[in-house]
Amino acid sequence: MRPPRDLTESGARGDPTAARPPVAASAVLAAEAPPGQRRTQKAATRNRVIEAARELFDTQGYQGTTIREIARHAGVSVGSVFTTFASKGEILSQVMQDRLDGLYGELDRVMPHLRGDTVERLRTMFAIHFAFEVRHTRLFLAHIAAAYDWTLPPTARPMGKTPRLQEIIRECLAKGVAEGDVDPRVDPQEIVDLIMAAYAWVYRLAAWHDADAPTMTKVMDRQIGLIAAGFQPRG
Amino acid sequence: MMHVTQIQAADDTAVKAPTRRALAKQQTRAKVLTAARRLFSEQGYEGATIRDIAAAAGMSTGAVFANFSDKSDLFREIMITDMAALADAMREAGAQGAGVEDAILRMFTAGYAFYQSQLPLARAAFSVGWSPQDGPALRSAPPVQVLNSLIVEQLAKAAERGELSDHELTLRAQMLFDAYLSNYPQAIFEGWTVDALRERARDQIRILLAGARRS
Repeated sequence: MRPPRDLTESGARGDPTAARPPVAASAVLAAEAPPGQRRTQKAATRNRVIEAARELFDTQGYQGTTIREIARHAGVSVGSVFTTFASKGEILSQVMQDRLDGLYGELDRVMPHLRGDTVERLRTMFAIHFAFEVRHTRLFLAHIAAAYDWTLPPTARPMGKTPRLQEIIRECLAKGVAEGDVDPRVDPQEIVDLIMAAYAWVYRLAAWHDADAPTMTKVMDRQIGLIAAGFQPRG
Repeated sequence: MMHVTQIQAADDTAVKAPTRRALAKQQTRAKVLTAARRLFSEQGYEGATIRDIAAAAGMSTGAVFANFSDKSDLFREIMITDMAALADAMREAGAQGAGVEDAILRMFTAGYAFYQSQLPLARAAFSVGWSPQDGPALRSAPPVQVLNSLIVEQLAKAAERGELSDHELTLRAQMLFDAYLSNYPQAIFEGWTVDALRERARDQIRILLAGARRS
């Protein structure tokens, strides 16, 4: 089986057959390999664990998945999962981070080409979000819950604090100020916080009432419209 | 007559015995709730186990389960008690407001002041509130609905006075409530004071009401 591409690019890789060795072989390799290879070995384990966890979280949810199942699915020992991750919460955090990185990459590509005024650009941006995330809403919720509950490392923050998303909204508002449809006297962080709060609410709607992406988008559109009345310049 | 007296005597014990039992049960529940409140605050919702809570309350897990069906039941009970007290504090604060903006701000500030001394518990509440399993039950608990309806009432009264339009009234109330909740992470993770939270909420309320202002 081919190792993930980022692993290949990250540096020297050991024997290709080591990509998915049985548990015992993995331990032997780690013990005997020179330091460089050991690092690679660790990266391989890490990637396999994340990949296995992603599949299991998606199919049976976060609560319904145990570390032991993740280890079995990844073909590694429970012990080696714990040498890489402190907790199940930390694995979830990494799975979600990878997912969000993909989404933000897409937004970075799309945002400069969006047409319309600030309100329309914000609405489109969240429509893209919902289309991307709707398949994983329950998982995102589990992630937020875990961030509040000590189960994530202290550096983890609830999704509402995701700095990259906040930055994208701020950029959108700054462009609006330059184009004259956002009042320059309004504190952008306050608008960002309100939009994030609205976003969080729409999320619960999705997870608890099985709302689909168009329904989420429709509610978010109304909320953005309501917030916009507070940031548009008064004539 | 003799048998009447006997019936009366029987009645008396029938009334007294359950009262004593009920009292003991009430005390047990109170003890469990106090221990649970402390452990949820110290270890979070996931971290606190029924076994730990029982040990802290000085009783068996069986005795805990005789009073509460599970951990989420226990947590919900604590939250519902707090929310009912919070709703009273908010209603009172809101009644003193001069105008809708001030009234809602006073309500929110009362909420932040209420939780200032028990932020770890608020943190646990957010965790449960976001959880796919227990979130819906907590979020739709009657006292939580009361908090939301207090905001609706303020907006409706303002609409009657002609201070605001009633355009999107329900959604606006919901968004105000969510804005109120969204400031808690600043208090929990960044150590914001009640004053700082109030200043932030003041601006948020102004922004969310801007579109409904009659001018």
